[in-house]
This record gives sequence, C-alpha cells and structure tokens, in this order.
Amino acid sequence: MIVPLTAYLVVGAILFAIGVYTVIAQRAAVMILMGIEVLLNAIGLNIIAFWRFTAPTDYSAQIFAILVITIGAVEMAIGLALVMLLYRQRQTVEVDAYAELKR
Amino acid sequence: MTAGLEIIAFAICAFIAITGALGMTTTMSMFRSGIFLMASFVGVAGLFILLAADLIGVLQIMMYIGGMLVMILFMVLVMHDPGGAMMAGMDMSFVERWFSKGLVPREPAQSGHAKHMHGDHQRGYNDHHHGNAVQPDEPNDRKAAAMRSGHGAHPMEHTDDDEQEGQVMHHSGDKHDDMDMGGMDMSMDTPVRPIAVWLAAAVSVVLVSMLLLRPAWRIIDAAPDPDSARSIGHLLMEKYMVAFEGAGFLILIGIFGAVLLARPSTHPDDPSRSAKVAIDERPEPIADDGLTPLAGARGSTEHHMHRHHRPEEHGA
Repeated sequence: MIVPLTAYLVVGAILFAIGVYTVIAQRAAVMILMGIEVLLNAIGLNIIAFWRFTAPTDYSAQIFAILVITIGAVEMAIGLALVMLLYRQRQTVEVDAYAELKR
Repeated sequence: MTAGLEIIAFAICAFIAITGALGMTTTMSMFRSGIFLMASFVGVAGLFILLAADLIGVLQIMMYIGGMLVMILFMVLVMHDPGGAMMAGMDMSFVERWFSKGLVPREPAQSGHAKHMHGDHQRGYNDHHHGNAVQPDEPNDRKAAAMRSGHGAHPMEHTDDDEQEGQVMHHSGDKHDDMDMGGMDMSMDTPVRPIAVWLAAAVSVVLVSMLLLRPAWRIIDAAPDPDSARSIGHLLMEKYMVAFEGAGFLILIGIFGAVLLARPSTHPDDPSRSAKVAIDERPEPIADDGLTPLAGARGSTEHHMHRHHRPEEHGA
C-alpha cells in the first residue's frame, strides 16, 4: 500500500473524463459503445480502490464490481444488436443519421 | 512486495490504461481503436491485481477481451472505413496524428483502380462500402445523389450475376448520398468536439481537485485474505444471492433481446426484407406473421386484419 488511494482515484477520474469525451465527440455508434466501456472501467476501478483502502475485509465491493462487469457485457451485446439493426435500416453506423428513429 | 516494485507496477499499469483509452478515442482507425481499448482493459486489470482483487482482474481480462474481439470483428464488418485509410490524410491535432502514425492514406482514384482488378464479389463489396460513405448532417438534394449513384455502382460493367447485387446497391444509393470526395465531411468526430474536449477537461479537473481537497478517508491497513475468491463465492451464494440471480436473469433477457433484434424482419415494409427479396429468388413466405400486409402484397387479408385488430380490442 505504498501507492496512495488518491493515485488510483486520479487514474479513475482521467479514464472517466476520456470516456465522457468519447461518448460526446465520437460519431460512430460503435465508438460510443467503447466510450461507455471506458466509463464502466473507471467506475470499477474506483470501487475496487475504495474497497482495498477502506474496507479490505468486506468483499461486498467485489460483488458490486462483478455486477458492473456483467452489466457492461449485457450492454455491449444489446448495443451491438441495436447497431446492427440500425445499420440494416440506414446503411450507416453514424449516430447523426439516427436523429429520427421512426420513419 | 517491495515498495519500488509496487510503484513501478502502478506506473506501468496506469500508463497503459490511460494511454490506451486516449489512443482509443483519438486514432483515426477503428481497428486501432479496438486494439487500444483492449490495452486499456489490460492496464485496468493490472491495477485490479495490484489492488489485491485478483478475481476481478482475471474476470476483467476474460470478459472484456472476449467482448472486444467480437467488437473489432463487428467494426471491420460494419464500418465504411475501418482501417482509417480515408481519414489518414486529413489534418489532425497532434494527439490524433501521433496515435494514427503509420496509416497510409488511400487515394480515391487508386481505390477505384483496385476495384476493377478484383473479382465480382470483391467489387460488389467495395461498391457497397463506396455507397456507404454517408454525410448524415448534409441533406444534399436527391437529384445529385441519384445521378451519382449510377456512377458509384458502375452499371456499365455489371454482368448478369452482378445485377441483383446492383439492385441492392442502387437501393442503398437512392436513400443516401454517394461519396463525394470534394466537400466530404469524413471525420470521425461530431461538430461538438471542442465542447466535448472542454467538458472532459472540466470533469477531469473537478474530479482531481475534489480528490486533492478531500476530507481524509479512514484507511484501514489490513491485508485482505489471499484466498479472496472463496469468500466472494460464499458471498455470492449466500448474502448476495438475489443480486447474483438478478444478474443471471439480466444476461438471459439480454441474450433474448439481442437475438430478437438481430433477427431479419419479416415485415414487407422493412428494407432488409426488400434486400433479401432482391437477392433471394425464392424468399421466405411472410404469410404467417402477425403483421398487416402492404397494399401490394395482398394475401389472406381478412385473417391478418383479424389478427391485427385483436390486441387493440383487448388493450381497450
């Protein structure tokens, strides 16, 4: 525990900022999904860092991290299915073309 | 673990995680984005293992790396420029230029030349991608699109085998604009990118300054159990049983939803249906779906109307 808690949290904060930037600035839907994955990673890193430094004998935080990873996997599956469906409809994956979803 | 080793391991893992995420969002090549994201995941997994959460680290590698491989496959399948060859010649910021180093810009005339040298199927594939270069934020007039769609599909060189494929291409070319190398806005980023940069910088600065000005958390200096996976398993099966079952149920529903979404539609109004009809000479009959048929495709209309109206009455 030489490396302080703040260092891990700073890494998590930077990852979160990069994820926010990716979700807002990217044009392709797949890239937005990747940005969401980075966001979930930052959340998991924060959870595990707090577990290690403030409650290392209670493993509930790791259960929480497992749930976050599960939700990330399900989100990726549903998101890719949606992207494939929208690609079949619009012949593009760029989210600007999805401005009106019903036509 | 000695102190120096821990610091070095943390530095390496944090560098890989942050550089991977940064490279993911700034490189012009979709394929490289996927690889960079994998590197970021590996770095975060290293941080997990450094934090004595070895089970989460291994889970991270196993689930996310598998998912990322599938994602890269999808990208190469779906994107119109997965390798970033078109965007490599554009002006970029220095970060983007550094992360896109080594990408060879593709000349449009050269790609057209290579298209003729390949086989029919390859040419159709290229044409398909050619037609997919859409400018979604530029609603150009349909006349120019229709004029250029003929150019994009190369109708003079179509053999008879190509004809059906050409119909599909024409179908997609009608709806969208064809590629125009002149005023094409091909960047991967939305116009709000400067706002996004400032917002991300603001999020980062606010979070880091809050961390530096924080009230001190009470840090417990107890080493966790080295056999932590056993404890986690017991917790999953005893205390957090409902959450565990809920996650399993969520995965089940997610799989059902993904399969349901990815299934080709049987509705006659669906574009994928028309593409299928254009390719398949004996398409699957659609008489037994619960949807109302179109005016052109009159089958057993009363039966369908009956089936269509029943849920409305039931709902009312």
